[in-house]
Amino acid sequence: MRIYAEMAMPRGIDAGLTPCGTCGLTVRVTGSGRQYCPRCGSLIRLRKPDSIARTWALLIAAALMYIPANALPVMRSSLLGSESADTIMSGVVYFMHHGEWPLAAVIFIASVLVPLLKLLALIYLLLSVQRRSTIRRRERTRLYRITELVGRWSMVDVFVVALLAALVQLGNLAHIEPGLGATAFASVVVLTMFAALSFDPRLIWDHQEPSTDER
Amino acid sequence: MAGIVAHQSMETLHVTALHPLHVCHECDTIQRVPTLAPGTVAHCRVCGAHLFSNPRGGLNTPLALMLGATLLFILANAYPLITLDLNGLRHTTSLGGASLALWRNERPLLAAVVGFTTVLGPALLIFGTTYVLAALRWHRRMAGVATLLSWITRFQPWGMLDVFMLGVLVALVKLGSMAEIVPGVGLFAFAILIFVFAAAASTLDAHLLWDSYEDLR
Ligand SMILES: [Zn+2]
Ligand SMILES: [Zn+2]
Repeated sequence: MRIYAEMAMPRGIDAGLTPCGTCGLTVRVTGSGRQYCPRCGSLIRLRKPDSIARTWALLIAAALMYIPANALPVMRSSLLGSESADTIMSGVVYFMHHGEWPLAAVIFIASVLVPLLKLLALIYLLLSVQRRSTIRRRERTRLYRITELVGRWSMVDVFVVALLAALVQLGNLAHIEPGLGATAFASVVVLTMFAALSFDPRLIWDHQEPSTDER
Repeated sequence: MAGIVAHQSMETLHVTALHPLHVCHECDTIQRVPTLAPGTVAHCRVCGAHLFSNPRGGLNTPLALMLGATLLFILANAYPLITLDLNGLRHTTSLGGASLALWRNERPLLAAVVGFTTVLGPALLIFGTTYVLAALRWHRRMAGVATLLSWITRFQPWGMLDVFMLGVLVALVKLGSMAEIVPGVGLFAFAILIFVFAAAASTLDAHLLWDSYEDLR
């Protein structure tokens, strides 16, 4: 029933109206050529440019960086002469061994689960848009919204490494330095954030007729 | 209020009639949104997106909170964040020290990301929002208000003070077992800043700011 109600609602793209991407002002799109928002001066676009191609490119880059992010050490520490290297997962295991379950859970969710789920969610959204799917649009839009919102929390591990490297600088006694894995991990977070930003959720709603394999 | 702006004078009449129309930025549905009562939020009736809100307290509440956040941010940067004490050997870091340490350890890319998300980005958001709010509150046509407003909207996700706070907590637990931790003035300022900044953000609405900006012109 809801699908019919959705279809009855007029859409901006059909009426030549669009919200300014920066300030939200409703702008009437006139003819071809570049048009700028009369209030804030931003370039007016009906949809984010090359949304699907850009999001795919950023996602593939993020997926590739995900491998070194987990395989390479995020930091190397030397404590009283004994050297050790930490990966993302060994950080989680460390807290589990010390009985710090809430922290182990926080790091596991923020550093392992969120980046992975974010990659999968965006891939699912891209595929569903490319298959011109018309089902569960509201849920897919919500999935996008959550993906966009939680991504930044994955940076927590990078900040931990930065803080430890800044604090544990006691020469031969104790010393921590950031590893290449931290750079790879930060790039995964940044790339997926850009991927989420370049995806246009309006594409989910752009195909009004159901495709043949649905309904 | 946000209105529809026509580019051709021929359309002016048509446009006036369309005044309260709003196009959802997430599903592109055109809908009529009445003027909101203070303290209410408008959601898209089709996809549920947050369209805009009309927070209570006008511009005064967010301005007061943002002035507080500005002061706290300066304190958080000026004073030491944490001191590590291992058998009398001490090492102190500040907020900026985190990205500086990465720079010194030859991780320039990482240093740039951390520096931007913990110092530069938040500075832009906090100082920028305060400046814009002051200009709008006192109806002053100060330079750069529109530029700052669009930057604030764009850089919103890249200010990660709250995430950094979680990182501080994790780092403290990790270090707590091996050394003594002395929290600095900067850490207290930083912790309060998180709450003040979140409170300020909840009393702000980008659309409202743009509308006030439009009235200013
Ligand atoms: Zn605009
Ligand atoms: Zn909507």
